[in-house]
Amino acid sequence: MAISSVIYNTIFRRNSIFVGTVLAGAFAFEIAFDSTVDKYWDARNIGKQWKDIKYKYVEKDEE
Amino acid sequence: MASRAIIRSTQSQLAASVKCSAVAKPLGSAAVFDQKRYASNFYTTDNTYKVPDFSHYLKKGKGDDTSRVYSYFMIGSLGLLSAAGAKATVQDFLSNMSASADVLALAKVEVDLSSIPEGKNVIIKWRGKPVFIRHRTSHEIAEANAVNVASLRDPQNDADRVKKPEWLIMLGVCTHLGCVPIGESGEFGGWFCPCHGSHYDISGRIRKGPAPLNLEIPEYEFSAEDKLTIG
Repeated sequence: MAISSVIYNTIFRRNSIFVGTVLAGAFAFEIAFDSTVDKYWDARNIGKQWKDIKYKYVEKDEE
Repeated sequence: MASRAIIRSTQSQLAASVKCSAVAKPLGSAAVFDQKRYASNFYTTDNTYKVPDFSHYLKKGKGDDTSRVYSYFMIGSLGLLSAAGAKATVQDFLSNMSASADVLALAKVEVDLSSIPEGKNVIIKWRGKPVFIRHRTSHEIAEANAVNVASLRDPQNDADRVKKPEWLIMLGVCTHLGCVPIGESGEFGGWFCPCHGSHYDISGRIRKGPAPLNLEIPEYEFSAEDKLTIG
């Protein structure tokens, strides 16, 4: 059986499985998308954010 | 187009002339009808419901589900993106309502308890309200526990109002109309509200006057031995 038929029979044949796959995919997509964008943002703004410069100010404060 | 126009015109002429005589024989069939009738002369006995042969236009390899899978995949991807987008939108609107970081930073207050001697009150500001901190003596603790709880207006054990008996922490807002009671005064050795004369005892419980409830206890914890975090 061709690969497309396998995909069709496992995912698309039943609507419940189709919708479930879509929602699970949305969940995974969101995690991946958010972490990617966060990583990009941090890389672009490196040295400007509080977490990057915190050590300069907080170090003296901690006993 | 031109040929069709010609046919149309002959047709209408025919329709007009058919009444008087059977002028034209129907095409393709010889003398099927003898009677006069209004009919198109483009008549055929062939079955017109024959489905044309589209096999030339069909995709090769009919058996596999490639195009079906492709369509469903596109539909599913759109649904996936829409679901993620809708969730993010709703979340943005809802997180808009929750407290921001600067508000949360002000929501907690840390107090160094080692500087408060026994038998003294300290008033600090927390979320815009006064908070009473009382370092109680053992005598005062005994006094608070000696009260018959059943006789109180708002019955509450002293043990339920403190985490450590020597430290009484409560909101300094009178439960009557919101004045700030005065410490170490009143008939019960606790707090006295000057606005309408409510007397609170050494556990902050209402004993006399118009206030309906005991002084409120905020959320707090002892983060270290002599460190208190309110909020």
